[in-house]
Amino acid sequence: MATVLRNLTYQGIPVWRNIFVIQWASQILSGVLVVVLVSWFFVNIGNAIQERDIPYGFSFLSREYQTPIGQHFLDYKSSDSFLYAFVVAATNTIVVSIVGVILATVLGIVVGVSRMSGNWIVSKAALVYIEFFRNVPLLLHLFFWFYIVLALPPVRQGYVIAQRLYINNGGVSFPWPSPTNAGLAATWVLAAVAAVIIGSVVRRRLTQRERETGQSSFPLVAGCAAAVVIGAAAWLILSAAGGAAPFVISQPEPQGTFGRISGGFTVPGGLIALLIGLVTYTSSFIAEIVRAGIQSVGRGQTEASRAVGLSAMSTLRDITFPQALRVIVPPLISQCLNLTKNSSLAGAIGYSDLTNVAKTMTQTAPAVSIFILIMAAYLAMSLTYSLIGNLYNRHKRFIGS
Amino acid sequence: MSANSVLSAPLILPPPRTETGMVGWMRANLFSSWHNSAMTVVATISLVLALWFGLGWILLEANWAVVPTLGGRIIIGQYNIEAACPGQNCFWRPQAALLLITALLGMAWAVAGGGVTKRIALVVGGAAAAFAFLPYGLDQMGLDVRLLLLANLPALAAGWALARYTRLGSASWIAILSVIAFILTLVLLRGIPGVPLLHPVAVIYWGGLMLNLLLAVAGIALSFPVGIVLALGRRSRLQVVKLLCIVFIETFRGVPLITLLFMSQVLVPLAFPENFPQNSLVRAAIVITLFSSAYMAENIRGGLQSLHPGQVEAARALGLPGWQTTLFISLPQAIRNVIPPIVGQFISLFKDTSLVYIIGMLDVVEISRAFIQGNPEYLANAKELFIFLALVFWVFTYGMSYVSRRVEQHLGVGER
Repeated sequence: MATVLRNLTYQGIPVWRNIFVIQWASQILSGVLVVVLVSWFFVNIGNAIQERDIPYGFSFLSREYQTPIGQHFLDYKSSDSFLYAFVVAATNTIVVSIVGVILATVLGIVVGVSRMSGNWIVSKAALVYIEFFRNVPLLLHLFFWFYIVLALPPVRQGYVIAQRLYINNGGVSFPWPSPTNAGLAATWVLAAVAAVIIGSVVRRRLTQRERETGQSSFPLVAGCAAAVVIGAAAWLILSAAGGAAPFVISQPEPQGTFGRISGGFTVPGGLIALLIGLVTYTSSFIAEIVRAGIQSVGRGQTEASRAVGLSAMSTLRDITFPQALRVIVPPLISQCLNLTKNSSLAGAIGYSDLTNVAKTMTQTAPAVSIFILIMAAYLAMSLTYSLIGNLYNRHKRFIGS
Repeated sequence: MSANSVLSAPLILPPPRTETGMVGWMRANLFSSWHNSAMTVVATISLVLALWFGLGWILLEANWAVVPTLGGRIIIGQYNIEAACPGQNCFWRPQAALLLITALLGMAWAVAGGGVTKRIALVVGGAAAAFAFLPYGLDQMGLDVRLLLLANLPALAAGWALARYTRLGSASWIAILSVIAFILTLVLLRGIPGVPLLHPVAVIYWGGLMLNLLLAVAGIALSFPVGIVLALGRRSRLQVVKLLCIVFIETFRGVPLITLLFMSQVLVPLAFPENFPQNSLVRAAIVITLFSSAYMAENIRGGLQSLHPGQVEAARALGLPGWQTTLFISLPQAIRNVIPPIVGQFISLFKDTSLVYIIGMLDVVEISRAFIQGNPEYLANAKELFIFLALVFWVFTYGMSYVSRRVEQHLGVGER
């Protein structure tokens, strides 16, 4: 009788079916499991490092790297430290990333807008571009362009356009301003920046006045004129004061029998192949993002703006595109990140990017430390892009609301 | 048929001829305004010029001899060289694996009863059989190779008949048989020590398109379930699980795949005892799978977020336990909503298999590059080779996106 009663009375949920207990037990179990696995992995690596006498830690960073780096935008010589070599390699990646992102965005927007064009031929041409470029591995793009650059004639037999532009298997060389005097040049650059800022302020003021009073005062022309006048005035004053112009144009000139180009600015062939490959590949993805963004804006917006008499161009520039930007920017940022990460393929075509240099470093430095450094570097770049994207997004949302 | 319609009938004039047919279409799509007309003219001229010079180059100037020179290397890499396969011809093994695939496609055709599956089966079987008629001499491409390639058509028919007339003709059987076929393929390619015809071939000799396809199939099949688990984990109420999933996803998404592959080559062997059997192919497959599953998880999470919470609430109200709600209510709808990004991820996984060059595996891209590097006389023809490879990749990736569009249509995405 007593047993029956005990069975009939409610005794609470048994421990093994208590949802609270199950949840916590599974969490603790999975947490412990992962921690054990990860620590097993690293402890084993640590042991292996000690047994095989592989150096570890970060003390190698101050040692001399003693390996040349193919291309570098910062001054670099073999006696520089590992840390500095790492910074040089990271700069190479950052340069590719920034130039590539700008070019790919512009090209992507052009192709994406063409894809939405009412013109049948233009739209289909954009479709073919997108479908072809994004369906082929980036590595193939890079090899294709790289071997085209390699197959170009050497410097002495290379193409010369208007005695200024040299195209050959070493890369593309073109005239470039070179500073005569560092102080003078820096002063003029500061003045030029100030001129641009003043010009944009003038433009904004005049636009505001135009909006308030309805009187047209050509804000864009006036702004540009202000900037140019201030810049030119600074140039003349500095030239007179310093005895020489702040910058002179340096012309590329082939030297010697093998024709090494000196002067001007030379974009190395590897970098050109890398940029063309990355830009065409990424722009096909950006084009699809732009198309999706424009399609996300209701048809009524376009129809209404055409109905009030705006031209097709003005509709796109002032009505559709600004609204589409809200949809476009987040995936665009992730494409920019992809471009940055994809630039790690540069090693395959002989450009010294971060991954390529780090790969060479693992021969003389501990791989674990290098791996941590690379991860930190790429993470920093990702976070910077995400931050810019998020700031822009917030800015857009405030104006919209 | 009231008097009204009789009266109004003659009043309905046909549209002007300039608004219908070819002329109307051109007016609407090519010459709707003056700048549209200008664009049409410029675009047409540049397209005609591009086609003229492009076709001229392809037909007259380009030297495509580099492609047949590489020949079988494009498909199987170094699998058949003397060092990989001493004293015997191993070419029949990848071909036998191909026969398994065509047989499976035949079965799928019989089960699906036509449509895309039929078309894919016919294209694959037909293309494989067509390779038998390549104009090589018999010393370069033996009779055995040609016969095995031709056997793809009977294999297709056999698979079709098997599914049609036996009890194996169901989707679940095909799924099981696909897994068996994949394992059989791996065994065939790897070989078994001691068996006369199946001399083991080390994975470093696997290469060419075969390697890309193997890695892609393994990566797609594994990263999909791992991605689902990670996506569910990231949305879990269990804080520890959620944190672990976030850390995993963000770490793998933050680093380039090529860095991960390289580090797997340098670091992972250190974590195991020195005599532990190491296999660079397995390592590459695992790294590609984990990398892809991190992206897959984010896609699936997007699908889960797009789901109306009412669905889950209704399922719980009907008394379905949590796992059944997830498995039968949330996931099917969530995945249906994000088919395009998921297939996009599959496509980029397939393209990313070309990155295994960093760990010294000779996939189809790397073996071509190595060939050009080793034979400088073909340096000027590198672009022909890479254009050909681009077309090969394009056929596969475009096929994938075509199938995804058909699947979407079949599931009625955007209609229901």
